[in-house]
Amino acid sequence: MSKSNHPIEQEELMAYLDGELATNRAVAAAAHLEHCAECQELAADLRKLSQEMMACEVEAVESSSEIPDEIVAALEKWKKEPKKQASIRRRWSMLFTPRKLVFAGGSAVVLVLILSFFSFSALRPVPMARFSREGAKLEGYYRSHGSMPKAVAPPPSPNAYADLDGSLNGNMAPGIVGQHVTRGREAESISEGDEINTSIREVPTAPMIARVAGITLTTKEFDRTRASLEEILKRHSGYLGDLKVNAPAESGRTLTATLRIPAPQLESALSEMKKLGRVEDESQGGEEVTQQYVDLEARLANGIHTEQRLTEILRTRTGKLQDVLKVELEIDRVRGEIEQMQAEKKELSKRVAFATLNTTVKEEYFAKLQGTPPSTGSRFRNAAVDGYNTVVEGVIEVGLFLLSAGPSLLLWVAILFFPARWAWKKLRRKFAEPDLPSAS
Amino acid sequence: MISDEALIIEFQRGSREAFDELFARYREPLYGFFRRRLATKDRAEDLAQETFLAVIRAAVRYEPRAMVKTYLYGIALKLLAAERRKLSGNEPQIDDDHEPAEDSPSDNELWVRQALEKLDSSEREILMLREYEQLNYAEIGELLRLPVNTVRSRLFRARMELKSFLEPKRKAQSRTRSSAQGEAKS
Repeated sequence: MSKSNHPIEQEELMAYLDGELATNRAVAAAAHLEHCAECQELAADLRKLSQEMMACEVEAVESSSEIPDEIVAALEKWKKEPKKQASIRRRWSMLFTPRKLVFAGGSAVVLVLILSFFSFSALRPVPMARFSREGAKLEGYYRSHGSMPKAVAPPPSPNAYADLDGSLNGNMAPGIVGQHVTRGREAESISEGDEINTSIREVPTAPMIARVAGITLTTKEFDRTRASLEEILKRHSGYLGDLKVNAPAESGRTLTATLRIPAPQLESALSEMKKLGRVEDESQGGEEVTQQYVDLEARLANGIHTEQRLTEILRTRTGKLQDVLKVELEIDRVRGEIEQMQAEKKELSKRVAFATLNTTVKEEYFAKLQGTPPSTGSRFRNAAVDGYNTVVEGVIEVGLFLLSAGPSLLLWVAILFFPARWAWKKLRRKFAEPDLPSAS
Repeated sequence: MISDEALIIEFQRGSREAFDELFARYREPLYGFFRRRLATKDRAEDLAQETFLAVIRAAVRYEPRAMVKTYLYGIALKLLAAERRKLSGNEPQIDDDHEPAEDSPSDNELWVRQALEKLDSSEREILMLREYEQLNYAEIGELLRLPVNTVRSRLFRARMELKSFLEPKRKAQSRTRSSAQGEAKS
């Protein structure tokens, strides 16, 4: 029996017989049942089943009117117990009535929303002077209380932002911020006790900055500088993102590397690197990713919540196979998004925890004196070889041209040959005929 | 007639009469609940008694927002689950040697019991709560923590399966009757 043939489904008919159908559907069911033989048969079957089940009686309990001794004893004991506890509990239960709980829950949600709004406001970019003061205070607090909490990204060094302060006119703009540091400026190092933080807590309180710096050095001792570079990297618990060494024949070698250094140790690593050679260029910048991180966090939480709800639906609801498959597909999609967001979050945390230091080391090149020039015989021989090569190359080029353009040339010659010959003959005849005198 | 909820509140205040009334109202239904699900009569009586003892112990925690009927069957279901856990692996839950009724049951009753045993446990529980305990869909859903629509669809499935199990037996019975009538006429 399908809905296309019957206005009510079989389940609805059963619910109608059980008195569990909504009034409007019950009216429709009653009307349909009056004239549908198939539904009447089903209703009769269902009623018969109920009757058969009810026919299975159990024997009566012995002495059903008497209360067993155990229960009487328990009642006596319960009666003797002071009712103070019960009255207190009742009072508590009166205090926490469902209505009051709903009201309290609603108030708590509103309060949390207001607090969240202020928290987000607090996360917005603040004037740099204020930020520097607060950053210094926070750092001082952490230093006085031992190491920084593991789950919190350490506040950036106030000095790093003090440099930025001048160029940005006291305000830190959201998005990419950066500036060129004048050569030779000393950067203050961060205390050595700072820990490397690879994980970021759920809601960051300090701005999260992904720091990027660049340095170009020129050195006379290339190999030694490279070894020192690796040593500095090791000392600061950093790692090598990318390395490329270029060694052209008549020029100095160049090393280009991307180093990933724990953000708090960037300044000290930079100052050590400056000692390796002559600094040609230096730059520092930072991208504030707090908003991006918070957004990602919120989207991730929503995704997880959606996945849980879908899984719950799949677990508890029954329905058609098609609906189940749809829910499973939706779960697959949501899971994919969650994994992508988790990867983004991890990458973002890594960018904040480890600063990127683009390093270029150039070797100072000293031109070497050439040896004796080649002999005349070898120069003649080289010239002959070059000439031969040129001839062979020319023949090959012509052959290649004919092979590639030949077919199309032949086609055009075949097309244009007869019109051209006709035109040529006509022209020749015209010029060959003598001027005849007029008939008059 | 005083409602069950009013009675239990009276009992919370210390009224013994209120408890007596509740006991009178629910002793038989609770005994029937356990008797239909357990092999022995004594154990069914014990567990029905246990249910009332649990009510006495937890009387202070009862809140008027829950119906007494679902509250009692909720306790009964928990006791039943504990009993089944205890019995699992030791002995079958329903022993054919111990028929629930003292008198020998009819063929129909036996078939119904056997057919019920063949049902999926969750569907069987819903069907039994509906037919024997006369709970409505919402109450069953509350007890088993299931949405009402799930209760409805499982109940329908259970009834259809029960019907399919009983159908061949009914046909065989009707054939036997008709042949017996034919012999009597001849």
